[in-house]
Amino acid sequence: KDGGKGGGSKVVVEPHRHQGMFIAKGKEDALCTLNLVPGESVYGEKRISVDGEEGNKIEYRVWNPFRSKIAAAVLGGIDTCEFKPGAKVLYLGAASGTTVSHVSDLVGETGQVFAVEFSHRPGRELVNMCKKRTNVVPIVEDARHPQRYRMLVGMVDCVFADVAQPDQARIVALNSHQFLKNGGYFMISIKANCIDSTVEPAAVFAKEIKKLQAENFKPSEQITLEPYERDHAVVVGTYRPTKKAKKDK
Amino acid sequence: APMVNYIFFESASGFALFERTESEDIGKFTEEVQNSVLEMKRFGKIMRLASFLPFTSAENALTCQNEISEGILPECAVNFLSTSLPKVKEGKRAKFVVGVSEPKIGNAISETLSIPCECNDLTLELFRGIRLHFHNFIDGLKSTDLEKAQLGLAHAYSRSHVKFDVNRADKHII
Repeated sequence: KDGGKGGGSKVVVEPHRHQGMFIAKGKEDALCTLNLVPGESVYGEKRISVDGEEGNKIEYRVWNPFRSKIAAAVLGGIDTCEFKPGAKVLYLGAASGTTVSHVSDLVGETGQVFAVEFSHRPGRELVNMCKKRTNVVPIVEDARHPQRYRMLVGMVDCVFADVAQPDQARIVALNSHQFLKNGGYFMISIKANCIDSTVEPAAVFAKEIKKLQAENFKPSEQITLEPYERDHAVVVGTYRPTKKAKKDK
Repeated sequence: APMVNYIFFESASGFALFERTESEDIGKFTEEVQNSVLEMKRFGKIMRLASFLPFTSAENALTCQNEISEGILPECAVNFLSTSLPKVKEGKRAKFVVGVSEPKIGNAISETLSIPCECNDLTLELFRGIRLHFHNFIDGLKSTDLEKAQLGLAHAYSRSHVKFDVNRADKHII
């Protein structure tokens, strides 16, 4: 069935400034990704089908910023987002894979997403989702112990983390030291009250950034996720910035 | 720190033993090694593949993944290492050190084969380099082959976890 936002030719889909993302212009604008598995929704999200240039159908999936920190960060105006076609991404805190499925759309067939989730109930859903998306490698394991899945993961271009744990910075560092390329990109979602609920969120964010800097992460941008999430920040930047990478910029 | 001459690397396609061909001054390793691992041209001069043991089946791979994830040295890896590494005369100390990705596996190798192992900042850098260039070292292994092996093995491993590991608590609740 066609999604409700579809309705045929009225919707125009335009490329977003971030590669692999799109904006569907209809009654309301909606962020979308190009569906890697046309005809299928992953978690009940709407699909939009438009006519391609050669009379073929192109299908997009609507990406809800209230359900995805990455979508919220993109709509919040984050400047750099490196989850693009061909990228390899290590995704920590994959849950049942709703956002993972959009990252899978973004990196496409030539990219790869290593999705780590420790809880078994969402882990089961994640494994099922991956059956149809072969660019996602499901890993039901504890992100605190990356050595347990070292045989399953290659070097990656990006790390994304949404683990909502007090020792999140340490978890991200352990994984990046093993798997993230020099000059690689990181995006971390920080939920203030998961780390310390006794101080102001801004103070928590500042402290987390200090911890990351000590582990060779160079944050370049920080935004809060209002109005989609409360007391959440997303921090992006570069891991072990290389001299060559600096020159390229 | 003792000189690390070998690296024992575990992949989804099999186990590999690498040998360091150039042993530069260890004191200045961090910057030096970090830079040299980036390009295969340079890294291929520092490390050479000594031996590779491909997994014989999906079951073989899953058994190894299960054991490696718990810090247990699989039996096939014991045989692989003892035949691939230089022989050590009885009663003598090995004149080489094997770099490992994790201390538990190092202890297991030391206990079963009496070979000294090391897991430190230098080995971490060498592992990063091998992980980056692994498929270039193995004849006939394309990067897509390795990706397929990772995918198949991850599915098998994760499926077995969500099915059989019912006693582990689901505590990751916000």
